[in-house]
Amino acid sequence: MVLADLGRKITSALRSLGNATIINKEVLDGLLKDICTALLEADVNIKLVKQLRENVRSVIDFEEMAAGLNKRRMIQMAVFKELVKLVDPGVKAWTPVKGRTNVVMFVGLQGSGKTTTCTKMAYYYVRKGWKCALVCADTFRAGAFDQLKQNATKARIPFYGSYTESDPVVIASEGVEKFTNEGFEVIIVDTSGRHKQESSLFEEMLAISTTTQPNLIIYVMDASVGQACEGQARAFNSKVDVGAVIITKLDGHAKGGGALSAVAATQSPIIFIGTGEHIDDFEQFKVKPFVSKLLGMGDIEGLIDK
Amino acid sequence: FGSFLKTFNYNKALTEADLEPILNQLRDHLIAKNVASEIAVKLCDSVSAKLVGQQMNTWLGLKSFVRQSLEDSILRILSPNRNVNILRDIRAKSSPYAIVFCGVNGVGKSTNLAKIANWLIVNNVRVLVIACDTFRAGAIEQLRTHITALKNIHERDGRQASKVDLFEKGYGKDSAAIAMEGINYARTAGYGCCLVDTAGRMQGNEPLMKQLAKLIKINEPDLTLFVGEALVGNEAVDQLTKFNNSLLDNGCRGVTANASAINGIVLTKFDTIDDQVGAAISMTYITGQPIVFVGVGQTYRDLKQLNAKAVVKALMK
Ligand SMILES: Nc1nc2c(ncn2[C@@H]2O[C@H](COP(=O)(O)OP(=O)(O)OP(=O)(O)O)[C@@H](O)[C@H]2O)c(=O)[nH]1
Ligand SMILES: Nc1nc2c(ncn2[C@@H]2O[C@H](COP(=O)(O)OP(=O)(O)OP(=O)(O)O)[C@@H](O)[C@H]2O)c(=O)[nH]1
Ligand SMILES: [Mg+2]
Ligand SMILES: [Mg+2]
Repeated sequence: MVLADLGRKITSALRSLGNATIINKEVLDGLLKDICTALLEADVNIKLVKQLRENVRSVIDFEEMAAGLNKRRMIQMAVFKELVKLVDPGVKAWTPVKGRTNVVMFVGLQGSGKTTTCTKMAYYYVRKGWKCALVCADTFRAGAFDQLKQNATKARIPFYGSYTESDPVVIASEGVEKFTNEGFEVIIVDTSGRHKQESSLFEEMLAISTTTQPNLIIYVMDASVGQACEGQARAFNSKVDVGAVIITKLDGHAKGGGALSAVAATQSPIIFIGTGEHIDDFEQFKVKPFVSKLLGMGDIEGLIDK
Repeated sequence: FGSFLKTFNYNKALTEADLEPILNQLRDHLIAKNVASEIAVKLCDSVSAKLVGQQMNTWLGLKSFVRQSLEDSILRILSPNRNVNILRDIRAKSSPYAIVFCGVNGVGKSTNLAKIANWLIVNNVRVLVIACDTFRAGAIEQLRTHITALKNIHERDGRQASKVDLFEKGYGKDSAAIAMEGINYARTAGYGCCLVDTAGRMQGNEPLMKQLAKLIKINEPDLTLFVGEALVGNEAVDQLTKFNNSLLDNGCRGVTANASAINGIVLTKFDTIDDQVGAAISMTYITGQPIVFVGVGQTYRDLKQLNAKAVVKALMK
């Protein structure tokens, strides 16, 4: 399971609380050390990890804690709450509206998996009975249109693109207009890979977004990205209005903790995950069941909601 | 007067307890710079082991003393004991020199292969690019686009023999066999260097790793380059360990006697990470192999040599 290794480590750290005869500051520090190590090994941003440690510490006050209070429970809850905060930005995930045009734009770093994931998502909705189409607004990467074309053809999804037009803004607006007129419900726009250090690429992204007026912008990120993730995700989100995150390549060994940093940076939920190169290696992602499963402690989740 | 006393007191053999708070800070600093956490811990442990029992140099503060020691060991990790000199080796060889590019999905294998082709052409080497990614949609068209662009740059006058060509057999075929055919063709047609592009694969995907091992085993390239992106975090450790081990387990041997199947690293997307340069350290620490090229952008010119001192400087900043 995704992030399972991380979950196991955290759960076993929490379980060690149960074995300790007295719960004092040393025990808590030991627990926090184990949890933070696990998070760092999973590529969660170090600033977030430090914050989590401080937040848990500040909740647990050993001097003032009434003697009868269950310290174990309090610590577990505090940790759980902080972890939920990492994965769950607290906003509802966007869903397309039936019978209307829903434009979705994919953005992200170079090679993160946008083009592959575009087709996966279109295929996902096609199988659920939606009318979907793809627009290739990547005129930069060598072979980008051929890649999308071959994927779309194989999945029998209508697509739009051009070998001669070099302006992605033109292609995006033509493609979206064409498919809107033809009554497509989900129109997915693929764009080139880009990074915050090259401002012209960010301007181009903004221009595509301005002309196509997407209902949702998805930030696609690779599960293996390390500490640079947070800064990039934040920059993307401050240029365009990112509304959701998709994590790809979770079929590798990566624990995907970097993705949690992207969630925090964009304040957007993870909606799908990619688990392979094939078109159906794609799963919907739901935060709450995920966290309970992650920690194997659904009962505590119930307590927090009260 | 007080500071004089303090200096005096510190002039003793260092203990672990003296070092721990400083090394803890440095470890977190390395992690924030994207050094894999396991490696950040090992680096700090080795500095501790080296310094415990030493008399401290009183002219430096304890903190700068420890930092200096860490900097030294990182610089050593980044400075390989072996140099890869591709141009020299190509010239020394009568048959075509073959380089295989491998790595996980989307890291920049094909793009940096094209940049390296450009660099070879500039250095008067005739290049044959062999398309062995027969799986990913558009992989062959991607290479063809690069070859066409390179021909436009380098073969304008059209009088000489071609300087770069593509060898491809379409999709869905056995990559090891295509590599062999391509290299044989290069031999008869007099190319100086073959660049073999392979499909991206996850390090834990056994069938795909076996396929790569087969390609390398039967073709015995002169150089096997692992392509890794500077963006990668802790996963760098697992990627490199498993690529190298899978190749060794499946019968590939390094050209050199050091028993590494990977002979060098191409570090890509170095332009996307500001000063979070830690992946360079993780990758060299794990393999002991040099970073042969650094990719710093998406054009043919964006190919550099690693500047170890600059990396250390960015890391310690
Ligand atoms: N194993 C695995 N590979 C994936 C997954 N998603 C995408 N890939 C692979 O990752 C590589 C890059 O994917 P692309 O879709 O080309 O990435 P991109 O973001 O469009 O790249 P640019 O357009 O160049 O920025 C390809 O080899 C894909 O097959 C996944 O979930 N698992
Ligand atoms: N910014 C930047 N982008 C790069 C660099 N090298 C490659 N890229 C981009 O990364 C993306 C993926 O590059 P590819 O060369 O297709 O990667 P690959 O490893 O061959 O991918 P697969 O064959 O699908 O596994 C493309 O958009 C490249 O332009 C680099 O050094 N810097
Ligand atoms: Mg793409
Ligand atoms: Mg490739």
